[in-house]
Amino acid sequence: MAPIPPTLGDFSVLPISIPPVPSFPRTTIHYVYVRRNAPKVPTANNSRSLFLTNVPVDSTELHLRGIFTALVGAGRFQSATFEDDRKGAESLADAQPAQVARLHAHHQTQLSSSTSSQKKRKRGEGEDAERAQEEAAARLPSTWTRPLHGSGGTAVVLLADEKSIEQVLKAIAKLHRTNKYPTWGDNVEQSAAAVPRLGSVWLKAHSRLSYPDRDALQAALDAFSTLFARKEQEAAAMAKRLRNEPDEDGFVTVTRGGRNAPASKNEAEEARKKMVEREEKRKEEDVSFYRFQRRERKKEEQADLLQRFEEDRKKVFAMRQQRGKFVPEA
Amino acid sequence: MSTAMEPNHAKRRKTQHSREGARKALGAVASSGGLSKSRAFILEADELLEEISLDYGAALEGVDDLLRRIKGSIEAIEPRESLPVTVAASKLEKKHRIRVPFPEPRPAESSNYKVAFAQPAQFNVVGSYVSKTMVKTQKDHSVDMVVVMPAELFQEKDYLDMRYFYKRAYYLAIIAVALQKDFGSDADLSYEYLNGNALCPIFSLRPKLLKDTEAAKEKEAAGLLNYRIRIIPCSPDAVFPKTKLRLGAALLRKGKEEDAEPSPFYNSTLAAEGCFLPYLRLLRQAEKKCAAFKSACILGRVWLQQRGFGGDLSEGGFGNFEWAVLLALLLQGGDSSGHATLSGSLSSTQLFKAMIQFLSVTNFAEKPCVLGAGSADLDSAIELGPVIYDSSRQLNIAFKMNPGSAAQIHQHAKWTRTLLNDTTADQFTPSFILKSDLALQNFDLVARLNFNDEFNGAVNSDCRGKIWGFSDKVYKVLRAALADKELGERARLIHIQNPRYPQWSLTENPSFHNSPVLEIGILFDSVNMARTVDRGPAAGPTAEEKEECDRFRAFWDEKAELRRFERDTIRETVIWNSVSAFDLCEEIMRYVFRLHLRVGHVDDEVTFFGDSFSSLLPFKPTDTSIYYEAKKAFSVFERDIRDLEDLPLHVRNVSPICPELRHASAKPPSLTPSKSGPRPMEAVISFEASGKWPESLVAIQRTKVAFLLMIASLLEKSKPGKIKAYVGLDDAKSEAENLSFLDVVYDSGAAFRLRIHSDLEEILLERQVKDKSLEQHVRTRTTALLATFRRQYTHLPLHGQSISTSATRFPALSPTIRLLKHWFNVHKLAYHFSEEFIELVVLNVFRSPYPWDAPSSASTGLLRALLFLARWDWRSEPLIVDTGGDMPMADRHAIGTRLEAWRKIDPNMNHTVLFVATTHDASGIAYTTIDGHAKPSKVVAARMTALAKSACRLVKEEGVELDPRRLFVPSLKDYDVLIKLNSKLTKSILKTYTTDDPVDGGGDSTGRSKFKNLDERTGQDALPLAQHPTETLLKQLNEVYAGPLVFFHGAAEDATIGAIWNPLMQKRGFRVNLPTSYRPVGKANDEDEGEEEEEDEEKDVVEVNREAIVAEIARIGADLIESIDVKRL
Repeated sequence: MAPIPPTLGDFSVLPISIPPVPSFPRTTIHYVYVRRNAPKVPTANNSRSLFLTNVPVDSTELHLRGIFTALVGAGRFQSATFEDDRKGAESLADAQPAQVARLHAHHQTQLSSSTSSQKKRKRGEGEDAERAQEEAAARLPSTWTRPLHGSGGTAVVLLADEKSIEQVLKAIAKLHRTNKYPTWGDNVEQSAAAVPRLGSVWLKAHSRLSYPDRDALQAALDAFSTLFARKEQEAAAMAKRLRNEPDEDGFVTVTRGGRNAPASKNEAEEARKKMVEREEKRKEEDVSFYRFQRRERKKEEQADLLQRFEEDRKKVFAMRQQRGKFVPEA
Repeated sequence: MSTAMEPNHAKRRKTQHSREGARKALGAVASSGGLSKSRAFILEADELLEEISLDYGAALEGVDDLLRRIKGSIEAIEPRESLPVTVAASKLEKKHRIRVPFPEPRPAESSNYKVAFAQPAQFNVVGSYVSKTMVKTQKDHSVDMVVVMPAELFQEKDYLDMRYFYKRAYYLAIIAVALQKDFGSDADLSYEYLNGNALCPIFSLRPKLLKDTEAAKEKEAAGLLNYRIRIIPCSPDAVFPKTKLRLGAALLRKGKEEDAEPSPFYNSTLAAEGCFLPYLRLLRQAEKKCAAFKSACILGRVWLQQRGFGGDLSEGGFGNFEWAVLLALLLQGGDSSGHATLSGSLSSTQLFKAMIQFLSVTNFAEKPCVLGAGSADLDSAIELGPVIYDSSRQLNIAFKMNPGSAAQIHQHAKWTRTLLNDTTADQFTPSFILKSDLALQNFDLVARLNFNDEFNGAVNSDCRGKIWGFSDKVYKVLRAALADKELGERARLIHIQNPRYPQWSLTENPSFHNSPVLEIGILFDSVNMARTVDRGPAAGPTAEEKEECDRFRAFWDEKAELRRFERDTIRETVIWNSVSAFDLCEEIMRYVFRLHLRVGHVDDEVTFFGDSFSSLLPFKPTDTSIYYEAKKAFSVFERDIRDLEDLPLHVRNVSPICPELRHASAKPPSLTPSKSGPRPMEAVISFEASGKWPESLVAIQRTKVAFLLMIASLLEKSKPGKIKAYVGLDDAKSEAENLSFLDVVYDSGAAFRLRIHSDLEEILLERQVKDKSLEQHVRTRTTALLATFRRQYTHLPLHGQSISTSATRFPALSPTIRLLKHWFNVHKLAYHFSEEFIELVVLNVFRSPYPWDAPSSASTGLLRALLFLARWDWRSEPLIVDTGGDMPMADRHAIGTRLEAWRKIDPNMNHTVLFVATTHDASGIAYTTIDGHAKPSKVVAARMTALAKSACRLVKEEGVELDPRRLFVPSLKDYDVLIKLNSKLTKSILKTYTTDDPVDGGGDSTGRSKFKNLDERTGQDALPLAQHPTETLLKQLNEVYAGPLVFFHGAAEDATIGAIWNPLMQKRGFRVNLPTSYRPVGKANDEDEGEEEEEDEEKDVVEVNREAIVAEIARIGADLIESIDVKRL
């Protein structure tokens, strides 16, 4: 095998030695690819964070801490965020009524970005944190003690300071010379409190956690309904505002509904559906009233027959292409 | 005299009447030609005719020349003076070492009549060679030449006591001597029986193929057949008076004139001897009169051949000759009034359909079928065997048939008629292409009965050989036992396959190769066959009733007993001990064989096949009742829910959606507490339409959870102590999916899982799917969500209903589904297929069973389902299961078009693979695309087809001796990685309790008290099982490694997971978001197949780090995985 290159593009290759387990008694090597974190939208901490890709599927923060401790000693590692966690955080944002989402989108495309971003800024960071907390409370309890990560997934590791980054990268470079790779699971205590174990315990815990406490469930639901009620209110307010607000060309968006609130989109849809149905029924009824209609229908039928005949011919031809279709089986 | 004629007249009128009906039906068939499917049928049949037509020039090159030479050498034979029969025979044997193939019984030494040889009166080539109706695919090709013996050789009384046949045999031996001299070196010569008829030996000459010469190879490439020439001596027309040969006459007298039994077979054979040339003329006339006659005969030949019928006695005695003659007679003047039943202007397919129609309305074994003017008194003849009487030639064409074969051909014709009337089915393939004579696919029970030599022909075997007498007797006994109308027919069809006489050499006597065995096939009536009590005639005081009872007792002997039934009737009764249909049939057969044939007391005399299928699954006869109990428990559950008063919305429906509640689960539902936690049966609940649902998918899901919490507490309150309810969480990936379910556990052990249907959810999803302003990935996700929603709440309830109804209509449906699911399980395919798909495949086999009828047992059902899977070309054909039974043609067209459209969009079948449409679901992918992924994928579907094909091959090769277990042997060598689970540990985590520490998952077993009574969990109810741990693990693995590995797994209890590496994931250029774990392998130049080309000519290449992936799996499974067997990395 060719020697392992120390870097791939701007990534450093971090080999990790995986100890054997009884069911698969081989030592294997897993490769994590590391570089400085450079997200498209810079964050406050990106100067002291690393971007990891191809993290093992059973990674936890403690596992990564163990690896970094082995690389540069204790005290440098601060925290790790996994790709899947970040995704999960977004999901409750959908919790607004569908119609509001639509209006919102509509609104944003129409108004120039200045107004909306102004509004956002107004809210401030404190409010954001509060909201995040609320959303966390509204989330349903997790059913996993230790969620797995997708194979080849990414993570962002936050270190103590910018200097640590340099040290980590240097340490990785050194690994390729000494061939002394850090071991997966070192410095990690596998117990209920620290890192939950996988395997049967993990699956059993999942079976148990699938049936959460009713009170906990109720609390999450209550938190959600407060959240949702507020969003609904906001939505109503926005819809109301939009009804009277001309856009930059001076047009006012027309929305259905009475004086107090816009009509439910639902009702509008249903009304439309009914109308379409009525229309169709009427059409069907007077399709064979005039002679020309009957004549035309007959013609259509004939054309249809002819067409199907052609189709059959084609089908048989296609069958002939596949050999053996016309030979009785022996 | 006149009184005697009276009933006869009545009968004749009846025959006439039924013929009238047949004619009308024929007309209807003939004039129908407007439907699309039947047009396709015509086109396909034409194609078939073209495909199988024989190029006579190339295939039978040199035949005419050879025939001429044969004729020459026969003509050159010197006449021989008459000698006493035995003297002549021994002389011939001594001089030429050729045996005279005398029929049994051989002429007695003392016989004093004489045999001689004189120039043949005439030579003629007959049969399908002259009529040009041979096809490429027939079993063997033969050219028939008849040699008409001169009339002066015979005396008036030669029709008696086989004298004619002795003379004929001698004549044949003389011809054999001459031909051996002239052709012995360049042809294989042998004797054989004409159509297996032991009275008529004939001479066969098969030219030796010159191997390894250039010319021979060339000829073979051109299609030269390995044909044979059959030389058939026959009598001149009208050498014996036809009236002497009538069916009821007793011509085998052996000196005792009075008590001789009628010998219809002998008589008809004798009559047929003189009819070769008249029939040749008849067929010629028909060809002239009707242009399509020849093609119709070829279609008939194919139809018969695919069903195993042939002119040979052992093949039923109805072959292409009989077909052609029957058709010709119908064209000429089938009616007794002399009118033609069929018009000569019909096309070949119309003639074929007309023949099928005719065969399906006429059962030759029940009523004599008379063709042509005039009538003979045949009503007594029908007792002796099937009759198709050609009045102008005064011959029973059906003389080689037996009642069993007549019933069988009648049945097959009925099935084909149903097929031809079913405009929605593919009519062509089952009619002509499918080979449908495999015993195990045809019959629910197959038995082999050794021919007992000690069985002395108490019945008249009528010169067909002892075995035929035996087989007739077996048929009669079985008919009386299994197909008695009074008792209620247990069997729909009884088929007996007799052994066939092979060819034999000129120097020997004919004999079977092995000891002869009868093969008996029984087609069940699934309801009647499961009957354990046979109610015979009522034991009344009248003489008639007494007589009936005596007859019943005579047949059933000691088994018959008197029993009192409801309404004080006392009846003769037979009680059987077995439980399943198969065992009952076996018990009855063994009993009657022992009683009436004196065989079967030794067990090896009769062997039964086909039962071991049901022993593959722990099928118990009580299973059906468990399913009914589950349904009953469900209705209690439904009532409990409907009775809840404080629900804010009115309940509209509670519908079961799981296989357990539609008789279709591989394992019957467990309704009693077991080692695992309760396994709930799934159902969905829908409420009246309401405007109260919030207008947001996420909020709807939350509202559902709240709703379930409410139902849970209400249920527990309504029946305290009897019901436990648990709200559980689904493993949802987003908040917009269904989040939760409610498990309701009854103290009786039944458990149900409830999910809520919200109509607004569907509307919102639909709207999002249509909303073009949304991003593509959102819409794709929503489409998947909508599909899941529709499957869960719309399709599955309807599917459950249709399977349940069909399960009551077809008793064999439920066991067949279970057996096929078992097959999918052992081959580790089940993980990739939805249960509904498997159910629909089986339902299709029952709904569209052509060329048979719906299966009446699990074994035939399974074999036909496998046959379907093996033959289904899912790349281009949709599977359309008409669950409602009224799908219009236009819909079927639309479904076909949809499939074509899918294949055009997605030719590599990445998204849509199997296409299964039902009446309720025209989309075709409700059960084969789950969460936006094809389930199964193309690879797995191909594997299914391959496995089904090899199963069918095995069935074909092994025949009835197939050990069904061999169909259920998984081949583990095909997998790259085998993950073996610790099944003991898996079992130990099937049960969880509320008191278990959720984080530690209950901890180790060491933490628990050793003593059961000290264990705090004793007496506590276990939580229901959200999902089987193996399935949970597999689901996790699949989510994590969807790219590099394809997992295979069967039922939840299966402790071995197979996996293969995805061959599409190769070495590739490095980039940030790799789909799985990769390891660097150095640099490569541009030749590699990386997706994104970089400007850099040197690229970093990575490959799948398979070893690390296996190590990861080992870590995930930890103690649950016993070992990982890696075959390929």
